[in-house]
Amino acid sequence: VPVPVLVLSAAPAAWLPALQLLRRGSKAVTRHWKAMHFQRQKLLALTEYVRPRPAVPPRCLPRRAPEGQQEDGYARVLRRQVEQTLRGSRMVAVCQYNSLPEEDVATLRHFLRRHNIHVHFVFNEVVRPVLAQSKYRNLLPLFVCRNILLVSPQAPAREMLRVLKGVPQVNLLGACIDDTILSRQGVENFARLPSLEASQGQTVAALSLLSSQTSSLLQRGPAHLTALLDQHIRRLRDTGAATEPPLGQSTGDH
Amino acid sequence: EKMASKVSVVLRPVKSIMVRFCPFEPNVESTRKFLQCIYHKKIQATNTNCEVTTDVRHDGSEPVVDVMFADGDRLIMKGAHLTTGEMLTALASRCNAKDLKEEQKNKKKNP
Repeated sequence: VPVPVLVLSAAPAAWLPALQLLRRGSKAVTRHWKAMHFQRQKLLALTEYVRPRPAVPPRCLPRRAPEGQQEDGYARVLRRQVEQTLRGSRMVAVCQYNSLPEEDVATLRHFLRRHNIHVHFVFNEVVRPVLAQSKYRNLLPLFVCRNILLVSPQAPAREMLRVLKGVPQVNLLGACIDDTILSRQGVENFARLPSLEASQGQTVAALSLLSSQTSSLLQRGPAHLTALLDQHIRRLRDTGAATEPPLGQSTGDH
Repeated sequence: EKMASKVSVVLRPVKSIMVRFCPFEPNVESTRKFLQCIYHKKIQATNTNCEVTTDVRHDGSEPVVDVMFADGDRLIMKGAHLTTGEMLTALASRCNAKDLKEEQKNKKKNP
């Protein structure tokens, strides 16, 4: 710190400056850290800023009711996406997702996409309000921990189960197919059902069973008679091969 | 996920883990979290032979974790009133104990 020093000298002709700045140690502005002079330290400590405090501390004042949380734009976008996916799908399956390596996730997505099943990763906080207002209210208790939604405009339950069997880390919890909420067993039973055409054919066959039985009952008498007559003709023909004309004529008269 | 990395479970003495729960019940959260932690890469990396089976039912039964060890022991944890941390620490402590026992046995065999 340059210290101003008063210098008195004997020579009267020339005069020395009243103050001579002495160099003591380093300069004022250094590249290394320099300790503050003690007087400067004291001055700064004295003149520190003191915040004006209110007369009544704020915790003694009545607290305002907590405002509703600011709606996050991103959450709104995600919610809208989920709503759109749910609206356009016939089958919504909820699975628990335990961590899979990324290639496996991509492979799973690929195999499900082959059967037109879309994989949708969801956040629980985003999905819960959407579900609470839609018809999937009863699927709410499933949304704990990490989940994924498998949505599809058709209902390929058999293929989905087959793919999921090969991935032990994704566990099917429940599904809503055609406005029916199903558990895991329900989905397996649904997969075992025959196709729509086959079941329609079965229904038609069951309905027409009674009428076909009636018609066969009604036809039993005449059919029996026809069979007997045929047998009779055959026997007559066999015996008539030996004695031809008169027996042939008598049967012709009948 | 954080729990899975904090509580390091060595699954070497474990032969298989069976987790059974009913997802529509309200008391399955800890069991499901436990299942999630078990499938963490670090824990799976300790023993790739360990089979983890999940049984999802809908009969209102309680969530159960059934662990079969390689030396024939069995640990059954009923997760209805347990937290995930408790289940993980219980499993970790038993695994470590069995691991130590095995190491001592191996040391005795090959001095």
